[in-house]
Amino acid sequence: MALEKGRISNFQLSVLIIGFVFGSSVIISPGGKGAGHDAWIACAIGLMEGLLIAWIFTALTKQFKDKTIMEINSLVYGKILGKGISLLFIWYLFHLSALVLTNYTHFFKLQIYPATPNTVTLLLLILVCASTVGRGIEVLARLSIILVPIIILVVFSDTLLLIPHIDFNNLMPVLDVPSGKLLLASHGAASFPFAETVAFLMVLAFVDKPEKAPSAVFGGLLIVGFMLIMAVARNAAVLGPMAEITIYPTYLAAQVIDIGDILTRLQVLVAISLITMGFIKITVLLYGTVLGLAQVFNLHSYRPIILPVGILMVIFALTNVGNTQEMVDFAEQGYPFYAIPFQIGIPLITLVVAKLRKLPQTGGDQV
Amino acid sequence: MKREKRIKIYVVILLIIMPGFLSGCWDSHELNKLSIVSGLGWDIDNTGKVTMTYQSIIPSEIKGSSGSNGGGEQKGGSQLSAIQLNQDTGSSPYDALSRYTQHASRIPYYEHTQIYLFGKEGVQRGIYPFLDTQARNPVSRPKALMVVSAEEKASDILGIQDGMENIQAFGMAAEIKLSATFSKYPEVTVLQFQNRLLSKTTAPIAPMVGIFEETGPEGKKIRRTRVVGTAVFKGDRMIGQLNERESSGLLWAINEIKIGFVMIPEASMEIVSAKSKIVPELQGDQVKITIEIDEESNLVEYRGHQDITADLVHELEKGQAKEIESQVRAAVEKSFALDADVFGFGEAVHRKYKKEWKDLKPRWDDIYSRIEVLVKVKTHLNEIGDVNKALIKD
Amino acid sequence: MFRLLSQKMRRYRTSSSDNQTQAKQNASPKYLSKNLEGNLQVLREELGQSSDVIIRDMKISSNSDVDGAVIYIDGLVDRNLLNQDILQPLMFNLQVIKDNVNQKQSKLIDFIKSSVLTVGQISGTEDIDTVIAGVLSGHTAILIEGVTQALLIDTKGWETRNVDEPTNEVSIRGPKDSFNETLRTNTALLRRKIRDPRLTFQSLQIGERSKTDVTVAYIKGITPDHLISEINQRLKRIDTDAILDIGYIEQFIEDSPLSLFPTVGVTQRPDVVAAKILEGRAAILVDGSPMALTMPFLFIEGFQNPDDYYARPFFAAAIRWLRLLGFTLSIYLPGIFVSLKAFHPELFPAPLLVSVAAAREGLPFPVALEAILMLSLFEILREAGLRMPRSLGPAVSIVGALVIGQAAVSAGLVGAPMVIVVATTAIASFLVVPYADAGALLRFLMTIVAGFLGLFGMVIFQLEILSHLAALRSLGVPYLSPVTPLKLRGLKDVFIRAPLWAMDRRPEFLDSSDKRRQSPGQMPRAPQTKPGKREG
Repeated sequence: MALEKGRISNFQLSVLIIGFVFGSSVIISPGGKGAGHDAWIACAIGLMEGLLIAWIFTALTKQFKDKTIMEINSLVYGKILGKGISLLFIWYLFHLSALVLTNYTHFFKLQIYPATPNTVTLLLLILVCASTVGRGIEVLARLSIILVPIIILVVFSDTLLLIPHIDFNNLMPVLDVPSGKLLLASHGAASFPFAETVAFLMVLAFVDKPEKAPSAVFGGLLIVGFMLIMAVARNAAVLGPMAEITIYPTYLAAQVIDIGDILTRLQVLVAISLITMGFIKITVLLYGTVLGLAQVFNLHSYRPIILPVGILMVIFALTNVGNTQEMVDFAEQGYPFYAIPFQIGIPLITLVVAKLRKLPQTGGDQV
Repeated sequence: MKREKRIKIYVVILLIIMPGFLSGCWDSHELNKLSIVSGLGWDIDNTGKVTMTYQSIIPSEIKGSSGSNGGGEQKGGSQLSAIQLNQDTGSSPYDALSRYTQHASRIPYYEHTQIYLFGKEGVQRGIYPFLDTQARNPVSRPKALMVVSAEEKASDILGIQDGMENIQAFGMAAEIKLSATFSKYPEVTVLQFQNRLLSKTTAPIAPMVGIFEETGPEGKKIRRTRVVGTAVFKGDRMIGQLNERESSGLLWAINEIKIGFVMIPEASMEIVSAKSKIVPELQGDQVKITIEIDEESNLVEYRGHQDITADLVHELEKGQAKEIESQVRAAVEKSFALDADVFGFGEAVHRKYKKEWKDLKPRWDDIYSRIEVLVKVKTHLNEIGDVNKALIKD
Repeated sequence: MFRLLSQKMRRYRTSSSDNQTQAKQNASPKYLSKNLEGNLQVLREELGQSSDVIIRDMKISSNSDVDGAVIYIDGLVDRNLLNQDILQPLMFNLQVIKDNVNQKQSKLIDFIKSSVLTVGQISGTEDIDTVIAGVLSGHTAILIEGVTQALLIDTKGWETRNVDEPTNEVSIRGPKDSFNETLRTNTALLRRKIRDPRLTFQSLQIGERSKTDVTVAYIKGITPDHLISEINQRLKRIDTDAILDIGYIEQFIEDSPLSLFPTVGVTQRPDVVAAKILEGRAAILVDGSPMALTMPFLFIEGFQNPDDYYARPFFAAAIRWLRLLGFTLSIYLPGIFVSLKAFHPELFPAPLLVSVAAAREGLPFPVALEAILMLSLFEILREAGLRMPRSLGPAVSIVGALVIGQAAVSAGLVGAPMVIVVATTAIASFLVVPYADAGALLRFLMTIVAGFLGLFGMVIFQLEILSHLAALRSLGVPYLSPVTPLKLRGLKDVFIRAPLWAMDRRPEFLDSSDKRRQSPGQMPRAPQTKPGKREG
């Protein structure tokens, strides 16, 4: 199976996860809607659920070292059923990537470039992602080591610069929201973005020390989870009740920064880090999709299909939602449930079936 | 992949990309095609028509003396105006804007607008359409200042060239910020206004600016602007205003005192720092609010012709506390009279009494004027200055 | 469309067959005969009728009948050596030769070789091609009647430049010698820095017609063997007419010919080469070029300067940051300025915006065009300044910088802020010499992208560049090491310059066989005074 010869280290894995989870969280704040100023609590609960889900799928990869989910599916369910399930998973990755692109498009169209056609923005982004995917997972991991620290720096300085404007009264009273709504919002935070790390089922096969991989995943999730909780709390503290009304709270909060009349307009840093994080997330998803397709259809290389798949993603992103409110509705109400079979269902059931069938037996690695 | 298929794919890519490039650089706006709006005025008359006043900057007039710019023309006359006023009327803000574009040579650019000014007539009718535009449009800044005009029309104020700043709106913004720093009148950003509005019990406020005349050099009459009061809103309508004393009292209560002065009959104190807390208490159905104020100051003026003794210092502190308390009381009385919760008492109760708030909130308008308010002031006179003996003794 | 391009490129991709080299080897060797006249005839034909080819007949010792001939190329040989240490002993050592002259001719050659000629390097050969190659390299050939072997004596002694100060890489504190065009001088300069017996020079000759001497220098035991064999493989694959400069070698063996960034380091300073060899790299020297190549070459090396190591660490670290900053600035600044003015004026603080807007009044060109014009103008000035005769230099700088810049602003063609931006950028671009060219090109592209799509376009373009850099390798080592893949110890020399006593290991990414270069625990301390001793 010489589709991917590269190997990444556990440290790179953690960093990659941080970049991935940050993804489009700048745009749609996790745990946002419905939880009001308790959104940060929803985010924290969601993080725990995300860790649980991560535990499930890392258990799966620990069981089957060096195999991507496609290969695992075929081993566990037999070739035909396995490939069917693998295709479903690939669809999830593809759709998720298109969703991220959609988020992206609407944010950009509104805040930054109202007149530029979406096509151009998306195409350029996909081109960069495609060329990076073509260079292999190692290059992406190396890139993330450069990009993610910068992103972390931006997020931290964002928060630091907003300290003068933080009013903790805005976060009180705590647990004001009915628990039903809170739990719903928490699950929303889990499915977006924490549990999306299930996409790493395509990447974990290429870690050089697979035994340590689960702790790398947990470590990355914890770090990025704390940063997101901090960001959500900070947004609520700075913006007050407006944080619930606005669609893009982090961006609005960044507009409030004003140090000595010079350090204003830092919202552009937010926009730039958004592009970078989106790049990482989309590249990972594109990689997973393309590699998965290559494995399911037994292609000898995934390189020829990178660009076509990417363009399909762009087309899908351009057409799948009619307007921004549809996107927001789906993100808040539809997606948390739509994602369950992929984020929890496939890994959990596969794990259970694998344990029941006492797999893997030694030897044999066909797809 | 077969050659034909590959060519087809490339053609498709090209077809997707090309129209984009052919239409030019879509979002690129050259700076000299933008008119930078520094202040925006909003008036509405009794027929519901909206008049928008745009104060825009003429960049070439800013750089008076430097020679190497293409284009700026020197107008004859004493005062070079760095700003330009335009007015347009329509049935809504955007309608007015569309008429503006009929006679403007440049696109208005709002990212640097620092002042949103509302005519007195307009705010009494309600400024909701404006607020919606503000929140919805990404170009507006959450930190721009909301200002109410004490004159009937906003356009009156925007045209007045005042003092050292040659861009009037920036100057007015600086004026308001300064008066807030000196704890006379509040400074309210769009974000703060919106948050108060969203709270459903708290009343939004905004500083008021008025015109006064004075005689300048050469005996000419000059018109200047100054901050004259605090406007109180219920929802999006203005229902009353606070005078100087009441505004200060308000600031004391909501912890927005920065520096400034406290005047008592014998002395003046300079405020070094001040903190206030609103402590709510619920006794059955009766709401009790204690406003705790803690203040530190220095003595800057003493008119008593006496030597400074430790007892005298205590006296001054007590006098100071009484003065502060009476200012706060004045603000509380006025807010009761207007039935507007400008202090945020409601939210304070909400924070502490989560469960009870659900019942209290819908009845807040009735409950409000019956609240028992207690004001506790602690003052510290830190320094008494360089001299501790009087220059002329009694 | 693209297929045509890729078909053309296939022609140039490295072919795995060694057809060309085999063709060379199949040429049959030609040998000398015992007949002197016959040999001389063949040699005259091969060497052509050039006026600098000298064939001098002589008699081996005045009293015998043994004929001989000396062949050399005038201008390439050291005449004193020739006259005194070759001709004189051959022609005048009466007694000694006389005693032996009656011996067999073959023994005569050996005798001459071992006892008569008082020169350093002698070799013997029977192959005509070797004789010719030798003579063309500055050797002198001696042929004797009746003997099939010819003697080749190294008499190289041509005019060459002195060892001078380096012209392109100036160091304030360090040694000021630089390589010159003679290979032997250069290897000698290296030997003086590294007196380790394991310093090895491996020589090859590359170039059909130039037969240029190429030497690979490394320290056996420090430089990993697979590196050396890879370099040798690449060098042996080169099949070309001539190697006129080390740049030719660089372009034939580099890892990424299509990338903007160099994967081979170039320097003209022996101390730099020595330092790099000691870290585990290999160097290539070429006869006729005052530059040396070092491989592998990583991105951070462009920011490292010999002065960094000769000065104390804090200043070195500060200067290094300055270089990083300057390089970044030189690529981004025009692009940022263009995108701010054209797409995101909201990013200017209000007072600055007013000034910039005022400066913009009345200017005819869109700001992107203005930027590109100014950048092009600067590049034109720079290139012209390089090429023009020395005497005109000052005139150009005055005309170019002051007059054109100032006049353009006054005439209202260009805005003053733009001139400032471009001037700063231009100066900053010279902070990092190896990437000056790549940087200039990137700057242009970045400005064009900024003109089309503002900051977003710049970020995308930057991501693509980073992605490309992350994928690049030099001799198998990832280009962006040690930042990524992250090797913490290697970072000692990237953003800071750790004090010399802290750098006790060789860089890990170079995978050297000998990891330690100095003993740890060498931080200097002031000597301790004994308690009770009085100061005074």
